[in-house]
Order: sequence, then C-alpha cells, then structure tokens
Amino acid sequence: MKAVMKDRSIRLAVALAAGALFAPVHALAQAQSSAEEARLIEFGKEIFKSKAVCQYCHKWDASGDQGYGGNALSLRATQLTPEQMTEVVKCGRPGTGMPYHDRFAYTDKRCYGYTREEMGKDMPPAGNDFLSNREVDAVVKYLFAKDVGKGPATYEDCVDFWGKDTKQCDPMKK
Amino acid sequence: MSMKFFAGAVTGALLTATALTPARAADMTNERALNPQREPQNWILHHGNYQGHRFSLLKEINTDNVKNLKPVFTVALGGLQSGGRYAFGNLEATPLVEDGIMYVPDGWGSVYAIDVSAGKKGVIKWKMDPGTDRAWAGDVACCGVNNRGVALWKDKVISIALDGRMFAINKATGEVAWERKVADPALGETLTIAPLVIRDLAIVGAAGGEFGIRGYIDATDLNTGKAAWRTYTIPGAGEPGNETWKDGKERWKHGGGSVWETATYDPESDTFYQGVGNAGPDWDPEYRAGDNKWAASVLALSPNDGKIKWGYQYTPNDPYDYDEISEHPIINAKVNGEDRKLVVHAARNGYFYALDRINGSFIAGKQYTYEMNWTPGLDPKTGRPLNYNPNADVQVYTEGTHGSRARPKSDKLCPAHTGGKNWEPTAYNPQLGLLYIPSIEGCDYIETVPQKDFVDQGGTVRPRERFSGGATVIRERLYGSLKAVDPATGELKADLKLTYPNYSGALATAGNLVFIGGVDGTFSAHDAKTLKELWSFNTGTGINAPPISYAVNGKQYIAVLVGSRQSQNVIPFSPELKNTSTASMLFVFSL
Repeated sequence: MKAVMKDRSIRLAVALAAGALFAPVHALAQAQSSAEEARLIEFGKEIFKSKAVCQYCHKWDASGDQGYGGNALSLRATQLTPEQMTEVVKCGRPGTGMPYHDRFAYTDKRCYGYTREEMGKDMPPAGNDFLSNREVDAVVKYLFAKDVGKGPATYEDCVDFWGKDTKQCDPMKK
Repeated sequence: MSMKFFAGAVTGALLTATALTPARAADMTNERALNPQREPQNWILHHGNYQGHRFSLLKEINTDNVKNLKPVFTVALGGLQSGGRYAFGNLEATPLVEDGIMYVPDGWGSVYAIDVSAGKKGVIKWKMDPGTDRAWAGDVACCGVNNRGVALWKDKVISIALDGRMFAINKATGEVAWERKVADPALGETLTIAPLVIRDLAIVGAAGGEFGIRGYIDATDLNTGKAAWRTYTIPGAGEPGNETWKDGKERWKHGGGSVWETATYDPESDTFYQGVGNAGPDWDPEYRAGDNKWAASVLALSPNDGKIKWGYQYTPNDPYDYDEISEHPIINAKVNGEDRKLVVHAARNGYFYALDRINGSFIAGKQYTYEMNWTPGLDPKTGRPLNYNPNADVQVYTEGTHGSRARPKSDKLCPAHTGGKNWEPTAYNPQLGLLYIPSIEGCDYIETVPQKDFVDQGGTVRPRERFSGGATVIRERLYGSLKAVDPATGELKADLKLTYPNYSGALATAGNLVFIGGVDGTFSAHDAKTLKELWSFNTGTGINAPPISYAVNGKQYIAVLVGSRQSQNVIPFSPELKNTSTASMLFVFSL
C-alpha cells in the first residue's frame, strides 16, 4: 500500500510540476516522421487548434499564457516525457485549470491513482470535448514534433500554424 | 441599339423591378429613433429604446395566454467557422426588426436581412459577409467570437466586425456603401459592440482589456464614413483622472478600460452613458497603483464631441476584473418623495447602483447577488466600497478575495470575476417600475502573476499578447438568478434562483412578461411581478443572446438567437451539459 501511495504521489508531483523546469530537446521530436506519423501530427494540430482548443490557454505556439483559462504553462519548456504528457492530457492537472480529456478519468484509479472522491477540491475540470486515445496520441505527437524543447517560435512556425491567408504572423516578420 | 430603345428598355426594367420589390421600409430618422414607442411593431434600437429599457409595448402575448406560445419558425444562420483561439463563432446579438425585416449579425460579422413578414418562415434576403480575418481577430478576442448587433441609419444598416471595421450597408440590397477601420487588432483591439447611432454619428468602443489596450469610445460620421471624434476612457497626461495612475511609469498607456456593450442615451440632456471595462492588467493591481480612472466606471458624454461631462467609478483599483461595460438604463423615479433623473446599473461587482444622471452623484446602492464577500457594503453617501482606503495607492479589499504579489492565490471571491451581471442586459418595465437583472451567481478564485512590461515601456510584452497579470480559476459550479428590483433603491421585489448562470439578458413586455434564455437551451417566460415561470421551450443548445419582440400584421412574435460556445465557466462543473453541440439559429415564437 505504501509503495502504491508513493507511486501515485510521484505521478501527481510530476503532473503538478509539469513544465516548471527547462529540459533538453526530447529525442522523439527529432525522429524521422513516417507518412503515418506526419498524418497523425497534422491531426494533432487540429486537436490542439480547434477540437480541444489547447491554444486558448497555452497560446498557438504552446509557449504558455495567462487569462481566463488559467496560468497555462509553456509546453515548449516542459520536461515531461511523451508518456507523462499523455497522462496530463488525459487526466488534467489537479488543483489547476488544466482539464482532463479522458471521459472516464477519475471514475477509477487510472489518473494518478486517484478517484474523483479522493481528489476532492483538487479535482481538475473536464475539457470542453473529451478525446479518444488516438486523438490524445496525435496531440502529444504534434507537441513533441513542433513545440516541446524548441526555442521561441518563428515567423515560419506561425505561418505553418495559421496559414498564409491572415495578418496573424505579420508582427513576426523580420 | 439606338439610344431611344436603350432608354426605353432601362425604364421598363426599372418599372418591373419596382413592381416586384416590396415597398421600401422608411428611412431610419432621428425622429424615429427618439420615438420607438410610436412603432411598437418594430424593434429599431439595440436596447429597444435609447433609455435602455428593452421593453416591448406589445401585449398580445400575456400572462394569461403565454402557456400557448410555440415556436413558429427557425432560420439557420452561419458564422460557425473557427478562427484564432476559437472553434466557432458565438451568437450574442440583439436582432433589429423593421417592417417585417430582421437585421442581425453572426459572431464573425456577417449581417443577415431576414424577411419574417410571412410569419411562417424566415427568408434570408441578403447576407453581407465582411470577410473577417478570423485568425488575426480571433487570437485577440478575450472571450469568444462575438458581435452584439447592428444599427439602422437612414437607408443603411451599420455593422461592425471583430477585426475592427465598421460598415454602412444598403438596407435594401446588402451592398456595402463604405467601410472604416475603427479598431486595430495589431494593438489587441477588436469590435464586438452594437453601434449606437445618435443623429448622424455611430458610436462604438474597442474591446481588448486583457491585451494591453488603452480603451476608447469612437464616433464615425455616417455621412462621410470618416472619424468624428475619439475619447480615451483612460485619461492621458494632463487630463482629469490621469492623476489616479500613480505608478509613475505611464502605465495608463496600456491601462485597459475597454468598451464592448452599447451605451444608453438621454435625449433631454443630449448625454450618453457608457460603461467602461476593467483596468489592465486585470489581476495585478500593484502594477497600476492608484484608482485607475475611468476603468470599472460609467462615463456621461456629449455625443457631438465626445467630451466627458462626468464619471463615476464603481471599483477603484479593481483587482477582480469587475468591468462595468454593461448597459446603464435611464429611469425617472421618485426618491424620498422627490422626482429624480436616474441612471442605474446592475454592476458586475454584485451591487445595484442608482446615480443622479445630471451630475453623477450617488443616490442608492444595494447588493443584488446572493453571495458577496469582497466588501462588506457601500458607503451610503458616496457608494464607495466600505473597505476602500482613500489613502492607499493599492486597495486591499476583503483580505484574500483577490491575489497579490505577496499572496498570489486568492481564497474564494464572490461574486465570481464574471459578476454579478456581465454584459447580458437588464430589462425595465416602466408600467410596473421594475428592473429585471439576469444574474450570474457563485464564486471563483484569482491567481496573480506579476505583470511584465510592454516593449514600448522597456519590457518584453508585445502588442497582441495577453496582459492580464494572472488568471482566474473556477473550482465550483456557478448558478444564476433573475431578480426584480426597484430601480430607485435596488430593493428586491421578486427573486428566482436559476440552475445556470444567465448569459442571455432579458426582455420585458407590456404583457407583464419577462423572457430569458438559458445555457441549457431553455427559453422561458416569467410573470413580471412574481418571476414565476409561466412557459418554457427547450431549443436544444445554449442561448447567449437577448430576446426581442416585434409584430407583423398585428401578430406578436418573440425572437431570440440560439447557439453559442458554451462558457468554460459553466461546462466543467455542469457535466449534464457536457455533450451539448452548438448551432447557429434564429428561433421565433408566437401564439
């Protein structure tokens, strides 16, 4: 029991500290993308941009932001592994505005080893839309391919995200 | 082709066109704008009248027969595209109706002229899509893709788009006569407000209080499509009120004070009353020492030149984001036996205020929300929060209700930063002397983050970046209420607790009814004296727009826009609404 408690405390601590420290680029970000991976990354972009609207709080370049969504961390500077980020996307971050996206989160102990009752007042909010496993995989792949461990976003990154039919990226032109 | 034949052909074509075209609606004149009560079949001003009453004189639908009210037609609108930080556009507009034609925008600024004269269906006569740069504008919209309505002027419809442009549209054809860039998203400014037309001026203001703007009220000369005047809500160096920015670092230049809901207008004194938004940054008041005028205030202004006649600030050095952009109804009432000219306001900070509209002096104030903890009350003479300290540069209201740099995470704040009452308008029944407040009830939390400086002040924050000095956290379910108060005193006359916070605003009618919409899609009619629900219909998706009433061929209709982005403040703790899909619909009801 003690070991279980320790394990879930560690997992929770990781979630709470997510992104607080800077870390080197994760190897996955540099991996050669297969065609299927490229499709998945593009799909993940749509999750990040529109379906889960992660960008409302984290900003389009995932550099973090403030405001009505909460003080959202920079995912460019996160030290989470893909596995840990997957858990945060599915389970949210307890005690913060980061929502959970697994429909069944906290109905059993899949999230940090806690149920809704055990989480009490630290229970994170539900996301506007729940995500399937494929969608969670895609958004995590997208983040590691485009944002995690990268430096400040560039004009090219902006055009890649928003397209060329908007003034959105003009301020970033050199 | 001979010239003679050509002239004949043109004349013939014109005659044919005339015969086939319905009689053109009368031009919208100043005379009509001053007297909407003469044409109760129409809804020609944003708030129903300049005084902001949202009261329909129609009474075919009344307390006795409202149980028979039913939907008679719906019209699907557009505006569901994604853009910027949003997955789709909202519907928050108040429709206008003139002689059987409805004029209404969607969130992205497309304007629809809908022929509702048949009473059985609505036919979209024309649609003007302004081609809004959705990513550019939507990335600096704080709270959704919103457009709260259009205005009528002469033979034109005056509209705005989120990307800062104003349009004059031919009412008959939908052709744009001119457009003017008013607000600049490059600076974090957007337009969401329904224009207020007074004589030949269209008055709007810029939203962007979370993006480091310096707010303003702006008038366009409708005859030329050019700027007439602009008055900043945050006074500049040397202007009265600038001394209330005591930081010594010119932080008034990014001081917020946004404007995003339509003002009321008193023709008698030729004064309009504009509510003004929060100071920026929202939740780091130590960044902007001083009272921060005229954020969280009302301004009385002259429409001809935009000169400020007086101002009244509700929450000095506001650490909560209690912005007060919403309507300020104009009401005449007896106060202690004396006839008084009032301008009243159900404030986001949870208090109802009655001010003397001639000089801005405080007359009455009363808590209208169930829960309130940021101040123990208002000073009976000044209306200032009782715990306001005139000798302090940074206010400390009730300990723990706001964040600070020393203690960033607040305890519970009531009402929540949303209010109280947000932009959703009140309605006033002058026959009963009751003001209806559609409220948001409940509490939330604030987390302060020391605000970094703007690049033009030696810092790193660039235009279009968020400038809010922290964040809000919702940890519990918000709920709502509908309240009827005496506008002279704020005394509660009737009260109805609602399952959900109200995000639609209210309509009052001479049939002694009050209509509201709910985030669960429930559209309901209430007894104007008791607020008891007399009828409801569920539209199947959230309602975030205020209803109106109009008549065609003597038959009364109630209309409301349905479908919106569900608020992040509601959904996470209202799991029963979790799977609601959005829509973009006009619903029309009649007996």
